[in-house]
Amino acid sequence: MTLLGYLVVALFLPLFPISMLFNRLYARVGTLRARVFLLLVWPQLGLLVLAELPGQPPTWVVHWAVVTACFYAFRAVALRDLTLWIAYMATSAWSLLWAMALFAPGDMLLVLQALAFSAPFVLLAWLASRIELLFGAAYAGTCGGLGQTAPRLSVLLVFSILAAVGTPLFPGFFALLATTANLLPVLPGAALVMLTAWFLWAWAGAQMTRGLVVGPAADEPKPDLGLAATLPPGVLLAVLAVAGVTSLGYLT
Amino acid sequence: MDALVPLVFLVPLASALLTLTALQGLHRDSARISIVGAFATFLCASSLLGLALAGHTSDEIRFGTTWGVLLFDPLSSLMAFVVSGISLIVHVYSRRYMAEERGYATFFVLLDLMTAALLLMVTAGDLITLLIAWHLIGVLLYFLLGQDSTSHTAHRYAAWTLLTYRFGDLLLLLAAALLYHAFGTWSLHGIFEQVADAPDVRTLFGLPLVETVAGLVALSAFARSAQFLLHIWLPYTMSGPTPVSALMHAGIVNAGGFLINRFAPLFVHTDGVLHWIFVVGLVTAVIGSVLMLAQNDIKKALGYSTMGQMGFMIMECGVGAFSLAVYHLIAHGLFKGTLFLGAGGVISEAREDDGVPKDDLYTFVVERRSARQRQPWLLMAAVTLVVPVTILVLAHWLVAEDFFQKQGAVVLLFFGWVTGAQLIFSTYRMRTENIWRLMGMILFSFTIVVLGYTFISHAFDVFLYPDEAFRSQIYAAAGIDIFWFDTLVILMSLVVVFGWLVTYYTEQNGRRWKGALSTLWHGFYTLVSREFFVINAYARLSGFLVAAATRLNVLLRWS
Repeated sequence: MTLLGYLVVALFLPLFPISMLFNRLYARVGTLRARVFLLLVWPQLGLLVLAELPGQPPTWVVHWAVVTACFYAFRAVALRDLTLWIAYMATSAWSLLWAMALFAPGDMLLVLQALAFSAPFVLLAWLASRIELLFGAAYAGTCGGLGQTAPRLSVLLVFSILAAVGTPLFPGFFALLATTANLLPVLPGAALVMLTAWFLWAWAGAQMTRGLVVGPAADEPKPDLGLAATLPPGVLLAVLAVAGVTSLGYLT
Repeated sequence: MDALVPLVFLVPLASALLTLTALQGLHRDSARISIVGAFATFLCASSLLGLALAGHTSDEIRFGTTWGVLLFDPLSSLMAFVVSGISLIVHVYSRRYMAEERGYATFFVLLDLMTAALLLMVTAGDLITLLIAWHLIGVLLYFLLGQDSTSHTAHRYAAWTLLTYRFGDLLLLLAAALLYHAFGTWSLHGIFEQVADAPDVRTLFGLPLVETVAGLVALSAFARSAQFLLHIWLPYTMSGPTPVSALMHAGIVNAGGFLINRFAPLFVHTDGVLHWIFVVGLVTAVIGSVLMLAQNDIKKALGYSTMGQMGFMIMECGVGAFSLAVYHLIAHGLFKGTLFLGAGGVISEAREDDGVPKDDLYTFVVERRSARQRQPWLLMAAVTLVVPVTILVLAHWLVAEDFFQKQGAVVLLFFGWVTGAQLIFSTYRMRTENIWRLMGMILFSFTIVVLGYTFISHAFDVFLYPDEAFRSQIYAAAGIDIFWFDTLVILMSLVVVFGWLVTYYTEQNGRRWKGALSTLWHGFYTLVSREFFVINAYARLSGFLVAAATRLNVLLRWS
């Protein structure tokens, strides 16, 4: 029964190869609302089931989870499609929740952490839909030069990517720092793999930023986001940074 | 003072926010706001340094229970003064230099944020604050280097910088996690106290904690200070704006030396780590200098020059001359900043006069001026050897009778000597009409260099590490057996003498090398001109990894 439970959790806190289901589903779902729903709810379902299971996840599962995180981070380095990138990076981040579940002082904190992980991807999903509207696809290299064409959109894009790859002061940084500090004495190998995943996130983030933001402006002028449309995501990013600084109670 | 320490990094932060607010309507005025902020920051930092010089005791200012601790001590106050000073100069310079650039106001916001991050780094009193600042510097540098959002080249190398920095960040994070696991606190002060009480603590896999952490800290410093194999980002990030290059070469790249100084209470308990640091610094200094000489692009030459200087700085840490490294990073920061900020003027002058020396025969026959002479070889070689000995004797007479016996003091003098020898080699190549004037200048400069290293670094030592016992501990940690120390000094002396002999041989026989020597020389030159193929190796590796990731994605049908 417990094994079945873990298999269910492995679907929502993705473990390779079950993780492929989420990625297929995310790529298939066409509407923004459905994607946002998936990004917000998917890991929460995993945490819900995990809370019902007795004891802590076995260490081999944690090892498997960090390897999954590293695997998807590595694969994200080669991606050019922003939508796929979001799915891979979300898979990579959520699988780390297995390791965090070992040490989180409470279930609520883990729920908040999962939300903090999902929030930048939600923003990115929204931005991807805007870029698709402008260019027909959110594809690095083909719709480059957003920095010139749509400066507001690119600022939001850059900050969302920074939040997604665990940059201070966003919550991902503090969560990963606390998890490393706790995981290192118990499972040093897993901690090192997690740090490798973190490094690969930065690489994947830099590749995507370069492909979308850098370059000469598009030949045809494209409409940028208005101030009213920029403000709510901007506020959300600021809230995330504040949540990070308060460390969500992790670093105690 | 409690208010002054946080102000040092809060003022540039506020300045960045104000500039950001003004970004919409104001263009030139955004720079003014930023410059006023930089000036106010400099005033705060100067006051802090004044307090430290007046002998105020070190203190911690706490903003949180777990982290958010700021430190007031001689090292933080001195570094804050240097960082804010260089930042102010760069701000003032950028006001007109960047006027025609796109994203003028954004540039000043980033500059302010970078200043804030650097000041947070130097005043950080706990590991988390230090890690935050350490990470943010890399991220902000990425955006400053990629200021021109149309340039793929600028962003490519900015990304290399980011990744090298991120590699170093994660090593520092690993060191922090090990320290937290061992001592249960993030506070630097608390950690150093506990390390002093129990330096023999073991960590994962039974490894000695102090050595392991010191090694990780050193590696992190190597990534930040462009040590060999982690250096490629430095010479290739010249596509960024000139003020950013100035700030990077004068301030950011020096952070490695600062980090090692910050962890000095840890390094004094290590055994052998400082020797490895010395070796890495030495290799970097030699390779950086050789690569600098082989460049035909002035900006890349400057990049490799910085690499060589950073190697020198790390080497100083490796021999226990920690405060000398701080003196070095300040001196290097000032002169390299001047070089970068003066680059525009040099280009302008070069348009008037290409600076290529005229042929001696032309000067003599057409211009009817006496041919310019080169200094006598033997005299220059003698100066290289005699001046340091004279100063050593003077130091023995003026400073301490047991000066000869102090390995640390001899180390300082040794660095002065090596630097001075470099200076004399450079000036020897100059030709002049008034040879006595140039000789006088050379003698004066050489004396200043050797004296500077010996006495100024002694002053830095006393200021940064007032506890004499601690100073001796640092040198003891770096100390080597007297036999090896003497061997090293003799070896370096022989290298200098050999350098002079080669110079003499070349002067007598021209640049003609024969037989196997010629082949060897050409092989070496090819290697150097291709920068030891390090950049190619990295490009291959990253290309291979991206291709492997793509294949995996295809194999797994992109899911």
